[in-house]
Amino acid sequence: MNLDSELETWRREWQSEAAIAPDLRRQVERQSRWLRMGIAADILVTIVIGGGVLGLAVRSPQPDMLLLAAATWSFIAAAWAFRLTITRGLWSPAAIDTAAFIDLSIRRCRAQLKAMVFGAGLFLCEIVFCMGWIYRHSAQRGPLPAWLFGSISHWVIGLFSAVFFVFLARYRRKKRAELAWLIGLRG
Amino acid sequence: MGTDAAKVDIKLLATLDRASLEQEFDRLLAADGPALGRLAANFTNTPSDRDDLLQEIAMAVWQALRTFRGECSPRTFLFRIAHNRAIAYLSRSRARSSEAFGDVEVHDPAPDPESGLAREQTTERLHSAIHRLPLVYRQVIMLALEDMDYTEIGEVLGISESNVGARLSRARQLLRESLEKRK
Repeated sequence: MNLDSELETWRREWQSEAAIAPDLRRQVERQSRWLRMGIAADILVTIVIGGGVLGLAVRSPQPDMLLLAAATWSFIAAAWAFRLTITRGLWSPAAIDTAAFIDLSIRRCRAQLKAMVFGAGLFLCEIVFCMGWIYRHSAQRGPLPAWLFGSISHWVIGLFSAVFFVFLARYRRKKRAELAWLIGLRG
Repeated sequence: MGTDAAKVDIKLLATLDRASLEQEFDRLLAADGPALGRLAANFTNTPSDRDDLLQEIAMAVWQALRTFRGECSPRTFLFRIAHNRAIAYLSRSRARSSEAFGDVEVHDPAPDPESGLAREQTTERLHSAIHRLPLVYRQVIMLALEDMDYTEIGEVLGISESNVGARLSRARQLLRESLEKRK
């Protein structure tokens, strides 16, 4: 390569880097922070909840406690397997340009939409299992409907679940709008 | 490219009212916005620092605009201010973080998750290699890559054309070696 063509090549490469919109870059960085925080939260849940039930099962190795520990660890394993699958390829854009940043944002948005569906399903399974487990060990176990609606704490759990699902629905709507906007940006 | 910037009627700048001056300011920055973005990115390590530096450059250009008498092209004027602000920014960064610069190599910024894969890209490699050049060579090669000739580079940096030639030649040699090493 002669000197002038070398400089010309560098010039093309240098000028080809389109400036990434600061807002888009900030959004991607914010998403990365949330991804890292999500991993940290999962680690915390694994240690606190997983470790807690494991400790209980070791201290009193009754079949019911072992069942609780096994179910809890199944939920944790399912959550980890999903997280590791869904976050694959979501950490870096393929290049430092606007198109790659938009593409990464789209993939992250789609992953979040899938995660919401998975999260709702997992939450439902956990609630059903936990309520079933508590019902089985309840001292005043009567007919299921009476037991279910006869306690303040069950109403609190029901209210919390309703708020959780409303939040998910609203967040899903917001994410779908964001996805449509990003796809529009990509053209 | 900065050719649009030449359309600024330089003789009139000092006599313009504020609104018109703002228009000329916007036109000047818009014409060389991408080049200023590249310059700022190469003098900083994070997007927020880059935005800060761009903001400082814009403010400095605005303050100096009324005093511009057309001794050089608007583009040269713009880049001179940009480089001066960038060096002032580096000096402050050094004071804050003891980061070495000047004739000593500037450290390679730590790879963040966003740039991990992209470091393999040719363009990113070039930007990285330029970022690691000693300051005197970095300045001259960046201006050359923005299509400036020796005279313009000399005016921006306040050095003679022969000095520009010598620095550019050395800068190209260092850049070539750096790119070869990272292939």
